[in-house]
Amino acid sequence: MTSFIDYVLGGFGSGMIIALMALALVLTWRATRVVNFAQVGQAMFTTFIALSLQTLTGSWVIALVGAMVAGALLGVIVQYLVLRPVKRADTSGAIIATFGVLIALQAAAGMIWGGDSRAYPQPFGNTAITLFGREWPVSAYDLVVVGFAVILVVGLTLLFTRTNLGLAMRATAFNPEVARLSGIRVGRTLTIGWALAGIVGAVAGVLVAPTSAISPNSFDILLVFAFTAAVIGGLDSLIGAVALGIGTGLILSVVSGYSDSSNAPVVALVLLAVNLVLKPEGVFGHHKARSV
Amino acid sequence: MGYYAPFPHPAVALEDVSVRLGGLQILDSVSIAAPRGAVTGLIGPNGAGKTTVFNVMSGFVPADSGSVVLNGQHVHHVRPQQLTRRGVARTLQGVGLFPSLTVLDNVMMGAPTRFGVIADALAMPWVDRERRQMEERAREALVSLGIEGESSRLPSELPYPVQKRVALARALVSDPSVLLLDEPAGGIGEADMQDLERLIRSSVPDRTVVLVEHHMELVMAVCDFIWVLDAGQVIASGTPDQIRSDPAVLAAYLGEEGAA
Amino acid sequence: MMRDLLRLPGARLVLHAAVALLAWLLLVGITGMVDPLMNYYIALMAMYATAMFGMTILVGLSGQVSLGNGALMAVGGYVFAVTTLNWETVPFTGIAMNGIWAMLFAAIGGVLIGLLIGGLGARLRGPYLAGLTLGVAVGVPAIANRFPELLGGETGLQLTVPYPAGGYAAAGEFVDEAFTEDFPTEQQDELPTEQIEDLPTEQVEELPTEQDASGDDLLTLDNFPNEGDVLTEGDVLTDGDFSADGDDLLTLDNFPNEGDVLTDGDVPTDGDFSADGDDLLTLDNFPTEDELPADPSAPDGALDPEFAVDPDVEATFDGLDGLDAGFILEQWQAVLAVSVACIVAFLALNLVRGRQGRQWRAVRDDSVAAAVAGISPGRSKVSAFVVSSVFAALAGAVFAQILSYVGPGAFGLGLSLSLLVGVVLGGRGSLWGAVIGAVLLVWLPEFVLRAAGDRGWEEQVTNNAPNLIYGLLVVAVVLVAPGGIVGSLQSLVRRVRRTPASPSAAGLAERVDAGVGKDDS
Repeated sequence: MTSFIDYVLGGFGSGMIIALMALALVLTWRATRVVNFAQVGQAMFTTFIALSLQTLTGSWVIALVGAMVAGALLGVIVQYLVLRPVKRADTSGAIIATFGVLIALQAAAGMIWGGDSRAYPQPFGNTAITLFGREWPVSAYDLVVVGFAVILVVGLTLLFTRTNLGLAMRATAFNPEVARLSGIRVGRTLTIGWALAGIVGAVAGVLVAPTSAISPNSFDILLVFAFTAAVIGGLDSLIGAVALGIGTGLILSVVSGYSDSSNAPVVALVLLAVNLVLKPEGVFGHHKARSV
Repeated sequence: MGYYAPFPHPAVALEDVSVRLGGLQILDSVSIAAPRGAVTGLIGPNGAGKTTVFNVMSGFVPADSGSVVLNGQHVHHVRPQQLTRRGVARTLQGVGLFPSLTVLDNVMMGAPTRFGVIADALAMPWVDRERRQMEERAREALVSLGIEGESSRLPSELPYPVQKRVALARALVSDPSVLLLDEPAGGIGEADMQDLERLIRSSVPDRTVVLVEHHMELVMAVCDFIWVLDAGQVIASGTPDQIRSDPAVLAAYLGEEGAA
Repeated sequence: MMRDLLRLPGARLVLHAAVALLAWLLLVGITGMVDPLMNYYIALMAMYATAMFGMTILVGLSGQVSLGNGALMAVGGYVFAVTTLNWETVPFTGIAMNGIWAMLFAAIGGVLIGLLIGGLGARLRGPYLAGLTLGVAVGVPAIANRFPELLGGETGLQLTVPYPAGGYAAAGEFVDEAFTEDFPTEQQDELPTEQIEDLPTEQVEELPTEQDASGDDLLTLDNFPNEGDVLTEGDVLTDGDFSADGDDLLTLDNFPNEGDVLTDGDVPTDGDFSADGDDLLTLDNFPTEDELPADPSAPDGALDPEFAVDPDVEATFDGLDGLDAGFILEQWQAVLAVSVACIVAFLALNLVRGRQGRQWRAVRDDSVAAAVAGISPGRSKVSAFVVSSVFAALAGAVFAQILSYVGPGAFGLGLSLSLLVGVVLGGRGSLWGAVIGAVLLVWLPEFVLRAAGDRGWEEQVTNNAPNLIYGLLVVAVVLVAPGGIVGSLQSLVRRVRRTPASPSAAGLAERVDAGVGKDDS
């Protein structure tokens, strides 16, 4: 039982990162009805930028801020140059284009920073916290990760519910035509959605990098986990993405704890498949009647 | 249930069908019957549930309660793709053509095939033979609609009324005994309308035709019997003359125009 | 007249079979004329084309974007490997297991996994299906880790390729290195070269004694018209024993026959051959056919340094013409891959140009209208998935034989992405597009490597340049020319043909004028 609790707690940090990446997927989906499969590629790229900044300045914070700026820029560039011009009739085109971006970004990162895994410096202690006479599988760094995730989620929630921009984004996600008629600059709103997603992804990348390592392909598996979480959460729902992201992290942690971490992709696949069969619109999604 | 009386053995019918979608009562105990070998019209203001009636008949929308009669048989759960095998063909609102297939291929798609993917992968001669028969039938259907000259065009190269003819040809190529037409007159001109009228009248009594249509002139001209729906309920039924003078129908339509 | 002839029942069968057969003869002829490296490329291209015929059907015709086909190839490769490694006879029959049976089992594996994933995916819209298949691409190869005993875990399985019938060959580093050059980011670390040492040594003793005959048979089948051209020097071939041994020189298996060879005075017996066999890899240092007989002590490429470590092995190479042997293994692999590709091309041609192909396109265009026309959209999508899965599995089995290895690294996400890249660049929905995509996948990295060599680029730039180009090209194709290379050429031809007035534009204008073109379904 103690080991079960340990595994669950140990999954919180990684769960939060999956949640953030899922959140980024949801933000682009809400904005443009595109699942941005390049999201982890963008996050990988900005994390490399952060690593370069960190090496240059020695400051973790400057690196993080730099990654966030780069993430926003990259999101805008990808949306503006790649996704916006895709012909609407070409339904497969947007999906394929995002994979094109992913391949290009991974190759570009490999060109600039090389294909080998690199360690990302640990900004805070990575030793287990000891409390109440026992060691907990949670480090100070895990708490920082959770803290960042909470700040981002709360901030985004406030943005969506309390600001005009958030209202415009929700209206645009609900119905772009109506939003345009009511004077919302839809194009700009969509681009902002992608910028936000880029920021969230960049933060997730910088946060996850010290716990694993960073290489052009090292986030591929995170894409699968995040997609799983986002889809089970309903793709449309910020709360769903966060909740299911954490949930996925916990499940994977428990599974890895009791068996082997190499099972995680298989477990994610099974979770995804079962969910897609039972409830294709996700747990938090809205069922839409089929129109004939 | 009273509406049932005139047709003890209908070709197509809904018996007491209710449908709820997303908390809305789309159909409320609707009973409708279409006699064999006649043209039956289904009219009503927008949102009355006409297309939902078709969708229940063709299996796109499951009925929450009640039962469906298709081609004279009670069916429990019909799937759309089983319609042609039951001798029922349906057109869709708009045209519903396949943009990447030629007109001839579009029409041939309406004819059911007996062979599966393996026979096709091995290019068995009997598949070719079936294809030849299908092609002949498709050409006949195109001839009967006067558009045989367009057989190798893509739908997007044709004017809208011609596309609607192609869609009709696709429905006819399976030689259905029941034809469900969903707004066949939508977006076509006067000359096409007359052809359509002639086509519908010449389909009976060999086929049973059920028609959802907004164009009142056409409905009154071709239908033997009309059902009027409003807000998910049958509010009137009868011959065109009876419907024309029915106060409830007038009220429903006036109400719609008043609201608009 | 021609058209009427083509409409006769069976004409399609004859025509497509003739096309496939001609292609096969042509390609097999080519394999007899080119060097091992080229044959290796031909094998890779044919393998990619096989998998991408399936992608053409799945992504192009049926409109289902799948990232999982690399994993489906893994299923085929692993089924091939596990059945050849573990079964001596075909279950329930007592028939001796061979490569053809193993390929058949791989195809059956493809059907099953296709039914499973296609069945799950049939109800899913675009991005959901893409995500599910992405999970498949990452998750399925990871299954190998669950069963290290059977599937070899992370290190994979070294595979004894049944070549030719009854004999065994283990392709060495030559193949591995050339392969990893194409996929610098993914597989490099994961292809364990030291596996070669793990080759079961008992195979040496079990070597069938009938090698000569079988070796010659297979050779003549594959390369009869060109044998003379390639091996210009008659005295090399005059000895039947020699050529058969030559087949197997690459392998560990043919030591027992060594004695035969050495007794034959015609065969050059100088020991120079064995040691310095490191560098067969490039076109440059590979001697041309003319040099081959003229200089019997030419640097011997096909020999793997790993082999030379073993003194027994080294002894084997004494007096054997390694060039000849290397040539034969790569050619055999090329012929195998080309044969499978041509059979699959025949099936794909029938499907794409048949009723089934139109059904797939109909469902992709408008699933509701397809259902009304009597086509089951779900079944149609699943059938496309199963067909593409079978093709992928066959390609995977071929891949396993090209590499003599299966492992999670060889079938990773990179492979799945490559297939998508190839099919998009070549042209979604066109079989020619698949072929062009396959050629691009193999030659672009090679081209970039040459260009990089000329300009002296850094290694990490060179290694990643092909993928960068692929990624950018994919984006550009989707935005500018969604039909890929083939689609663009087709529309160019169409534009040239009907310059005066485009009927499609006229039709569109009329439709817009009517103002009622809205399709609610």
